[in-house]
Amino acid sequence: MSSETGTPAESAGTSGSASSSINPESVRAVAKKDFQDAVRSWLFWGLSVFFFTILVVVTGALSYFGDDIAAQGATTDMLVVFVSQITKVIVPLIALVLGWKSIAGERESGSIKVLLSLPHSRKDVLLGKLLGRSAVLSLSLTVGFVLAAVVVAALLGGFDIADYAGLLVMSIIYGVAYMSIAVALSSLTPSTTIAGAAMGSVFLMFYGVWNGLEGVFRLLGERDILFFDTVTYTVESGGRTFELTRPEDWAYFVLNLDPGQAYSNGLTLLTDVEALEQQSAVSAEMFGGELPIFLQDWFSFLILLFWVVVPTLIALYRFDRVDI
Amino acid sequence: MPAITVDELTKRYGQTLALEDLSFEVEEGEVFGFLGPNGAGKSTTINVILDFARPTAGEVSVLGMDAQHNSREIRRRTGVLPEGVELYDRLTARQHLEFAIESKDADDDPEALLERVGLVDAIDRKAGGYSKGMAQRLMLAMALVGEPDLLILDEPSTGLDPNGAREMREIVREENERGATVFFSSHIMEQVEAVCDRVGILRDGRMVAEDSVEGLRDSVEGGTTLRVTVDRIDDDALQAVRSLPDVSDATVDGHEPPTVVVTVDGSKTAVLSALEDRGIEITDFETTEASLEDVFQSYTTDAGTEVHAR
Repeated sequence: MSSETGTPAESAGTSGSASSSINPESVRAVAKKDFQDAVRSWLFWGLSVFFFTILVVVTGALSYFGDDIAAQGATTDMLVVFVSQITKVIVPLIALVLGWKSIAGERESGSIKVLLSLPHSRKDVLLGKLLGRSAVLSLSLTVGFVLAAVVVAALLGGFDIADYAGLLVMSIIYGVAYMSIAVALSSLTPSTTIAGAAMGSVFLMFYGVWNGLEGVFRLLGERDILFFDTVTYTVESGGRTFELTRPEDWAYFVLNLDPGQAYSNGLTLLTDVEALEQQSAVSAEMFGGELPIFLQDWFSFLILLFWVVVPTLIALYRFDRVDI
Repeated sequence: MPAITVDELTKRYGQTLALEDLSFEVEEGEVFGFLGPNGAGKSTTINVILDFARPTAGEVSVLGMDAQHNSREIRRRTGVLPEGVELYDRLTARQHLEFAIESKDADDDPEALLERVGLVDAIDRKAGGYSKGMAQRLMLAMALVGEPDLLILDEPSTGLDPNGAREMREIVREENERGATVFFSSHIMEQVEAVCDRVGILRDGRMVAEDSVEGLRDSVEGGTTLRVTVDRIDDDALQAVRSLPDVSDATVDGHEPPTVVVTVDGSKTAVLSALEDRGIEITDFETTEASLEDVFQSYTTDAGTEVHAR
């Protein structure tokens, strides 16, 4: 894949027959137009209102039922915990819905020819779409978070802005990862129906299949089926020692590839909410005192980076090679 | 240097052969009419020229550059009016043009461009509410951004009323006078003959005729269709008519009563005598002069008479 950023005249003839160049100015122009277009859509406003409503309902419930929590000064902690549970599911949905037709829709209606009749390369269009839609998603999340913050502050009389901002930043990174998946899938097919099915499959994979994986790994490991195995570890509690088993390390690596899992792990790093740490399904004890590198919190940023970069790289390669 | 060179271009979509060994050239500074019925392969050709589709075989160069390797540079100097595409419903005409101007690094005034295409009244209206003709005008305005060296207009008259189509031809003429080469596709001969210097006729992915408008006209000048209503007809008589030196084709059309349709480029009385010599009674006859439209018909349908372009 060529990634030269020079003018097309410079790169002309040096690249392979199907590989186009990337021009930052073009990417910016496409992103700006896509933002202008998407930000005016009912879909965007509907999703924002939906998102805001959920946030406000949760925070409202928290303030209503959470008197004793507030007394303990843990309101923001609980807010971050509750909200992150919701955003973990809602952010992918918003990203997949916003990204769904980004390219396939334009191919179906032919308007992509308007874009590509101008001096933009296909890579410019793809990256511009990813940037534009990510900006729209970020705007939606920011507006939702800020509005909810106002409501929370009014109801609870104040909260920890740093933790809340950490949650917003993490949610945006998480959203961009799913947007990359969505735009990439949308560029692989000229049919919005197939693209829609692909979006649904991605969601089902991470929220159905992936959630069940740990149980499957454990079950297969306990019965020594195929190459599955279990690892025995000991836990000390109340002076007594318990012997427990867990799936092998690589199984945890696979489980942690889920962007949602990475989002949860990353949150513990960006915020200092203790309740999030307690939720974690793995502990250092299970691995003889120290977590393997891929289970440490900072590694989840690499996983999210992987989901931002890899789908887009595949799409950049593929999209140059199709007939529009 | 030709503005567009298409050399032995073949394009296959799966089992479908869209273009087969297509070759033609568009000279710099001319208005080239690319004619053909729907499905002949006009849009496929334009898709390859603009690198929307990749050739199965053959080569295309535009403004002296390879259509695939230098596509961005080609499109920088080309204005395109694509066919059958939707605009961005939520953006206004002004936003569409600003996007095109920014993309081409040009300094046109959106208002002046819309003035030219007669859409200035709708400049701040969203394109979603436009009629087909208005959308077509906006796309023409976008194609004009940055004074392109080459204009590629795919079925530009789609959705335009006769008045709009005339204004569009007027703009094509103006752009050509400015120095732009215009490549203009259509399935209606009438729209290209008024404005094009040369015409290529495409059928089933092949170029079946390529000539100046005058050349095509000459090929049918004096070419007359003679319709002779007779009491009966037989193969022998038909062969006799066909073998006449001035007759290029003769067919039978209808049976009750039969009508002989003869394309003749000279003496019509010879045809009538040939029939009468074989005892066939002529009840009526009429003649029609062939038009350019007939030339187009003859090239693009099986039923038409045969015309030889010179």
